[in-house]
Amino acid sequence: MEKVLIAFAAALAIGVTALATAWAQSRIGSAGAGALAEKPELSGTVIVLLAIPETMVILGFVVAAMILFGVK
Amino acid sequence: MIVRMSKVEIAGPKAMRSDLLALLQESGMFHLEPEVRGFISKADEAFIRSMLPDEKELSERLFLENLLAKINELLSYLPQIEVRTSYIEPLAVIDLIAKSVRRHSEACRGLYERRELLRKEFDEFNRYSQFLSTIEGLFKEVERTPDLEFIGLTIKEPAKIDALRRLLASLTGGRFELTTSTSSDGTIVALITTEKSFNERIKKALSDERIPELSFPPSFSSLAFPEKIKYLIVRVSVISQEISEINSELEKFTCRWVPIYMQVIQWVNGRLSLLKASASVFESGSCFFIYGWMPSDAFKKAGEIVEKRFGGKVVVQEKAIREEDLERVPVVIKNPPYFEPFELFVKLLPLPRYSSMDPTPFIGIFFPVFFGMILGDAGYAIILFALSLFMMKRYSKAKNVKNAFQILFVSSFYAFFFGVLYGEFFGDLGHSFFGLEPICIERRTAVIPMLSFALTVGVVHVILGLFLGFITTLKRRMKKEALYRFLNLIIVICILLLVAALFDIFPALLTRPVIITILVLTPLLLFTGGLLAPLELLKSIGNIISYARIMAIGLTSVLLAFVANRLAGMTGNIVIGITVAVLLHTLNIILGVFSPAIHSIRLHYVEFFTKFIEPGGRRFEPIKK
Repeated sequence: MEKVLIAFAAALAIGVTALATAWAQSRIGSAGAGALAEKPELSGTVIVLLAIPETMVILGFVVAAMILFGVK
Repeated sequence: MIVRMSKVEIAGPKAMRSDLLALLQESGMFHLEPEVRGFISKADEAFIRSMLPDEKELSERLFLENLLAKINELLSYLPQIEVRTSYIEPLAVIDLIAKSVRRHSEACRGLYERRELLRKEFDEFNRYSQFLSTIEGLFKEVERTPDLEFIGLTIKEPAKIDALRRLLASLTGGRFELTTSTSSDGTIVALITTEKSFNERIKKALSDERIPELSFPPSFSSLAFPEKIKYLIVRVSVISQEISEINSELEKFTCRWVPIYMQVIQWVNGRLSLLKASASVFESGSCFFIYGWMPSDAFKKAGEIVEKRFGGKVVVQEKAIREEDLERVPVVIKNPPYFEPFELFVKLLPLPRYSSMDPTPFIGIFFPVFFGMILGDAGYAIILFALSLFMMKRYSKAKNVKNAFQILFVSSFYAFFFGVLYGEFFGDLGHSFFGLEPICIERRTAVIPMLSFALTVGVVHVILGLFLGFITTLKRRMKKEALYRFLNLIIVICILLLVAALFDIFPALLTRPVIITILVLTPLLLFTGGLLAPLELLKSIGNIISYARIMAIGLTSVLLAFVANRLAGMTGNIVIGITVAVLLHTLNIILGVFSPAIHSIRLHYVEFFTKFIEPGGRRFEPIKK
């Protein structure tokens, strides 16, 4: 039972953050595409903005790894 | 690196102004400053004024702008094709060009408008062309006599054909013939052949049943159905012929005249930029003054050239750059050949200020390392190495593409190096075939050690960024900001030491002094950085954790390679196995180029550059031809 809970906790940690990242990126992506159509010189800024929410899923991954591999 | 600039003042007799501007334009190294602020004292500003253009200059500018507009109009009518380079001297033919451009423009506009009309007509007729071949075929099947009427139809649903047949039978008493065929787009085309007396009745019934008749342009109304088709075929061929004649005429004109016009445009633009630059020149009673910026390396040489050309009558002087000038100094970025391709990434960001730092060398050092750490496969690296070499040769003239593959070339070296360290060659294929063993770490199983490694790289990178931020503010003599950045750096290090102590990497005994240091420095941090300073601290810690992506993305890459080999082995057939492995490894290589590149760039843009780069630099725009 404990193993199931651990696996479930790890899945939640990465799953929820992945969903949050996907949602944020979808919003930023569509807005960024609109902005790029008007001002192509903003491509650098748009890449940065698009990449910012990825931190959430990376943090989720770190937490999941810590749960699964038992870091104290 | 950001090139060192000199603040320059040039003064001389008014008569020499045009020659000097032409010389500066030729050098392509002088950025003209339209304001005197910061170049002369407030008291001296009263003695000079902006030099107004005389009547001759004004009329020349108007003439050239008008000529440029006319040439651009002419070019808009011409096709975009590759043309020879003209070596004609534009000044010698400028009057001739000014006279002929109008005539050429009118002739080309006539041809252009005629072609547009023909194209419109062609497009209209072309809509019927797909039915033509079908209808033509149907005509061959029926016997043509003068008392017969032909009605063309388009039917969307095949089921309607039987209903139509019944309808026609009831209207004509069976005195009709209905032939059908399917056109290239799938529409059913039908031809009704009947006696002329049934014509009106059938058309009305078709309209009531909403079965569309083949409609033709109004110009065809006087023609009978078979003639309409003949006329359409002839007309389409005549239009195509005429369009191709106009195209060839315009192409012939383009090949003959566009090289000359392009040469003239180049000259006119150069001359106009010189005339516009004249507006930024200042004058006193008998002298002119030009203020601006130029790279310090070029300054000494420029002084010597001016001295030689004007015999000491024009003086070039370097002025001290004061603190308030720093925001106005134009920025030129120049790097050694190794770092030059990496400017591609920096160009995507706003230009750094003159007092800031050029991020190119940092991205040139760290980007390939991060890329290598993430991809870390010797086999993939060899493929990318070969690919980048091939593409660099193939696109040697497209600068940006070449630069991108130069970056990939350097990065593939690091990917090979880390591949050897991780013992990866197309995943675990190296281990299976050649007994390749990891030298330091096996990424697939050692998740936590790899995570620690990635975070350690993050610690080094972020601390370097914070340190560079401190140096930047120190260089600008912003004492309070420098102190804040220094305190921020120290507290981040202290927090990291506490975290290290938690994992037994740092002696627990020393945690107390570290905590005391944090407590002592925090009020100072709040004083120098304001209430939001602790938030910046948290941001730095978050930035370090973000480097975990190096391990996360790398892990997905190695697992995909492992799966490719496993699946290939499971097929039990050597041909299918190789196909599966090649397909999956190809996919992994494609992902292995994009994913590490995007994440490495992001780590630089978001986590590293924000610590020390001050955007908002002024672009160096010299007077050019």
